Amino acid sequence: MTTKNVRVKIDELKTNLGLIKNLDLSVGKIVDDSWTEPMGPTPMPGLTTLRDWDMTLLNKYKPFYMPDCDLCCLCTYGKCDLTAGKRGACGLNIADQSSRIVLIACCIGAATHNGHARHVVDHLIEKYGRRYPLDIGGLNVKVEAPVTRLVTGVRPQTLGDLDEVLTYCESQITHLLSVAHTGQESSNLDFESKALHAGRIDQVGMEVADIAQVSVFDFPKADPEAPLIKMGIGTVDQSKPVIMCIGHNVVPSVGIIDYMKEQKLDDKMEVVGLCCTAIDNTRYFDRAKIVGPISWELRFIRGGFADVVVLDEQCVRTDASLEAERVKAPVIAASEKNCIGYKNRTNDPADQIVEDLVSGKVPGVLILDPEKVGEVAVKVANRVAPIRKKMKSLPEIEEIKELAKKCRNCNMCQRSCPQDLSIPKAIKAAAEGNYAPLADLYEECIGCGRCEEACPVKLEIHSFILKIGEKNMLEETNYCRSGRGAIQDVEIRSVGGPIVLGEIPGIVALVGCANYPHGGKDVYDICREFALRRFIVVTSGCSAMSAGSYRNEEGKTLYEEFPGGFEAGGVLNVGSCVSNPHIAGAAIKVANIFAKRNLRGNYEEIADYIHNRVGAVGLAWGAYSQKAASIASGFWSLGVPVLVGPHGSKYRRMLLGREDKPDNWEVYDARTGDKVNVGPAPEHLFQTVETPQEAMVTIAKLCIRPNDTWKGRSIKLSHYIDLHKRHYGLMPPDIDRFIRTPADIPMTMKDEITALLKAKGWKESIIPDPTLLPRMIRKTKE
Amino acid sequence: MSMFKDIPVEVGVIYEGERIRRNDMQVELGGPTVKEKFELAKVRPMDAIEDGKITIIGPDLKDIKEGSAVPFGILVEAAGPTLDQGLEGVIERRIHGYLNYIEGFMHLNQRYDIWMRLGKKAFQKGLNSFEPIGKVLYRLFKSELSIIEKVQITFITDPAKINEMYSAAVADYEARDAKARGLKDEEVDKFYGCVLCQSFAPSHVCVITPQRYSNCGAISWFDGKASASIDPKGPVFAIDRGEIINAEKGEFSGVNETVKKRTMGEVQKVWLYTAFDHPHTSCGCFEAVTFYIPEVDGFGVVNRSFKGATVNGLPFSTIADSAAGGRQVDGFHGMSIEYMRSKKFFAADGGWNRVVWLPKEVKERVKDFIPADVVDKIATEENATNVEDLQAFLKEKNHPVVASWVAEETEPAAEAEEAQVVEGQMMPVMTASSLPIMAGGFKIILKDAKIYANKVIIKTVKDEKAK
Repeated sequence: MTTKNVRVKIDELKTNLGLIKNLDLSVGKIVDDSWTEPMGPTPMPGLTTLRDWDMTLLNKYKPFYMPDCDLCCLCTYGKCDLTAGKRGACGLNIADQSSRIVLIACCIGAATHNGHARHVVDHLIEKYGRRYPLDIGGLNVKVEAPVTRLVTGVRPQTLGDLDEVLTYCESQITHLLSVAHTGQESSNLDFESKALHAGRIDQVGMEVADIAQVSVFDFPKADPEAPLIKMGIGTVDQSKPVIMCIGHNVVPSVGIIDYMKEQKLDDKMEVVGLCCTAIDNTRYFDRAKIVGPISWELRFIRGGFADVVVLDEQCVRTDASLEAERVKAPVIAASEKNCIGYKNRTNDPADQIVEDLVSGKVPGVLILDPEKVGEVAVKVANRVAPIRKKMKSLPEIEEIKELAKKCRNCNMCQRSCPQDLSIPKAIKAAAEGNYAPLADLYEECIGCGRCEEACPVKLEIHSFILKIGEKNMLEETNYCRSGRGAIQDVEIRSVGGPIVLGEIPGIVALVGCANYPHGGKDVYDICREFALRRFIVVTSGCSAMSAGSYRNEEGKTLYEEFPGGFEAGGVLNVGSCVSNPHIAGAAIKVANIFAKRNLRGNYEEIADYIHNRVGAVGLAWGAYSQKAASIASGFWSLGVPVLVGPHGSKYRRMLLGREDKPDNWEVYDARTGDKVNVGPAPEHLFQTVETPQEAMVTIAKLCIRPNDTWKGRSIKLSHYIDLHKRHYGLMPPDIDRFIRTPADIPMTMKDEITALLKAKGWKESIIPDPTLLPRMIRKTKE
Repeated sequence: MSMFKDIPVEVGVIYEGERIRRNDMQVELGGPTVKEKFELAKVRPMDAIEDGKITIIGPDLKDIKEGSAVPFGILVEAAGPTLDQGLEGVIERRIHGYLNYIEGFMHLNQRYDIWMRLGKKAFQKGLNSFEPIGKVLYRLFKSELSIIEKVQITFITDPAKINEMYSAAVADYEARDAKARGLKDEEVDKFYGCVLCQSFAPSHVCVITPQRYSNCGAISWFDGKASASIDPKGPVFAIDRGEIINAEKGEFSGVNETVKKRTMGEVQKVWLYTAFDHPHTSCGCFEAVTFYIPEVDGFGVVNRSFKGATVNGLPFSTIADSAAGGRQVDGFHGMSIEYMRSKKFFAADGGWNRVVWLPKEVKERVKDFIPADVVDKIATEENATNVEDLQAFLKEKNHPVVASWVAEETEPAAEAEEAQVVEGQMMPVMTASSLPIMAGGFKIILKDAKIYANKVIIKTVKDEKAK
């Protein structure tokens, strides 16, 4: 608790203790220091406070640049050609410029989450007051905000405390972004260090947003049994008025749901969502429905399912309003960050706004008061639904056949398609009455709509695909588990034994959006593979939706097949994008719970602990926004490796360890101070993989850590070897690098591996108490 | 996998979690519908074992009707120069793990509760005899447990033979349990230490004795003995017990030396049978915690799955946090549930006579080991949810701790002193130079005072009496 600028005036006060007259007491800041945990070395770190730690990581995992663009066009000295080692007018080379773009992306991501958090916290403080207590898991969560404690040294207890944390974050983002100005930082590694700092700030901002909304809106509180939510457009009752919310910020949706409940309309209407708003809606109201991930915005707006479209912030297609207008669905813009050019009607009477939208006088409005959004959306939906239900949004099949005949076979659609899908062939077939190729496209298309933009004869190719896929679309009925929020301290304690004994080989986090042909199925397959292998599988946001979008041979979705607890074979949905810090938080809490390491302002020590001990790996499959860059950066900074799919190469650089350089893999043994070579564990901090199979093999390998007990190591290796043999058809060539003592060898492969080790001239090593920080070397007490 | 080239299905740890549903099963061995089933390991003299011999008594897998459940027994007989009967339980429990490594084969439970299923797919792939299953067991026993020199395995499906062996097996389990529980710390010269948890809690060492399981509940003295003899350099190692320094508190010279060395001097001395002064340290994965409740001078116990607040108002997570991290914390003690069944369970502090509260679930589990004269005097969450109720309950039942209260009740009430502390707190810090004005018994008159502070820091006043 911190309070600023307190002033007390007492004219006269008689007490047993004494007499006080004309007392004027003014206090600049009251700090509640009743938290007995000692402050660590780096509370509220500035730009360079953790630079040494960053450089330790960046030295071990050197940036490898893959410039997506060889030019710099950020200032008017340019454009500058940075190919072949040339420097630009300001002096930067391509490595510097690439890292600068990484920093900018991370700043945009961090600013977006922090802006989101600021909006939520300010709104809630205004409504519920600064003293509103935080509660994210009752008695089972003692460490309520592990990331915030770790980075800032603040233990937030009330909404007001979050305000202070955000003020710090905002100052950091300002400084960080300023670094990208012409003529500031000049070393790529310093840009990278700052990108890592942006990742830390991003994690704090997200955590603040989520613990605020969990506390106030009474979302599931660290609940392994958070409700199963209906998912897919097939679960939506089309006979009812439908409100479709798109974006990330739940506040306007809360206004809608509250108003519906107030008017007793909550079972007479449907509130559905796309992207993270969808997940957070279900955390507030378990009858809200999830339609799908970010990539399906075009599909479901154009499909005409919504009677009112409410747009908030982040990852909202900027032509969503135009698409809604096509199907005559009134639009409400509800975020100051996404005003869509609409007139601000916040202060107008609700009924007047309703009238203007229903009559079609205006296609959309900007309303910045969430309660008014609720009233207007509900009223408009009820009024327009009866009219809209009679309309058709997609062309008839016969029309498609006729329209397809206009195709000039110019192939521009395929050239513009990010997935190079065979669109011209499908259109040609449709013109001949064969719709099967178009139906195949429905399965592969990620719904970006670029094909239509490219078409010289303006064919609505995406509408064709939707119409042909309509039947499939309407059959989409699945389950997603609502976002559970944090991981309970008790759950972490319970997995301690199994992790030490190797029964849980690792923790895999699938985050981000699977914007990739069959990307959703890949996410499902990867989740299931690792859940069956008794890993802990954690998801969030659009990945959590993809994970629930397919069924096993018994017809069960992942969330029905596997438990929702943080346990061997559990599949967890922590929530929306801003819930991601619960994943980092779980790793942080391991250090606190098992080793009793202090968290408060103690970033470097805890990151070192996680990097060397906690076998966690992140995977973001598909193509993504700047937010994903900052989220990943927050994990790198904690030393947690992150994998990305093929599109990830467009992030311009990887962080790669050098397997061939032995000194890359030396750690200190904290017991003796000796340097010990622990092998490439984990091998890389950030890398792209091309196929789901490669992802699976790499995930199993990246879960290996220097501290593994021999039991844990032998089981981790069993999985790595099994997946490698299955997908590459041979024993991993680097297996000798991961075996320290004969006990590490998987028992069922003893003969084969022993022979292999002999051939490689392998030498036995030790299992150290690993650290990268010389200061952590322990001194023997007498 | 070269080791199992001749086995018709795959063998590996990745099949461990595999479940075989009724519809997919070729045959069920043992299980809930079968009355008599068992698995048993016996240590035999070297010349009584034919190494690698696999015997099948009764119909083999291919001759058992598809979809049926049959009586079943497995007998593993082993020999080795350092093997003794005390390790039979350890060998026997490996059967579960090894059989689960077989693709398409599921093994649940142990002893007379065993329940196995062979999947149809595995059967179709050629796993239609106990012979290859025996080979897998044989090779894994020899590969993992180097202390086993010879081993022979018998599968029994003949009901008459099972009936004959079943009662002998049950008698064997009982004798083994009685022997294990009867073994005393004073009677052995070796204890075992475990530092597996040092991978996450670098300063914790578990001391495992016949009468004290590891904190996690997963490693008994017998397990420790087996692990240490298989891999003497591994994380589970023998401790020469050494001299008994204090029989009552449980202090042993060898334990002290080992702990000191393994914690790099962080912990100098350990008393195994008490929660006070030099208690055993706690890692993070203990099954339960004992916590001292000063108001009643007794112990509360809370286990991991207990939801809600304990009798002192704190939940498991908070209490556990006080004990964890490889530290010695007076009055807090992480432990296994099994330790509560030991005669040495906080023996120096009064044992069960000192326990005043524990969750109902735990009480049910260990009920048979609580002395009859105290069992009904220990409260659960159903009897007391706060200290006042607990006091009343204990008084009503005349719990042994009540006897110790009499002396304390004559002490002056603590309230007067506390009131003064509160008054002190009410006075804000009012000097610019951060010098606190302590108020206690004198008057302060402030007139026209203006006090400005850049920062006021509020700290919790530590209650000196608590120490």
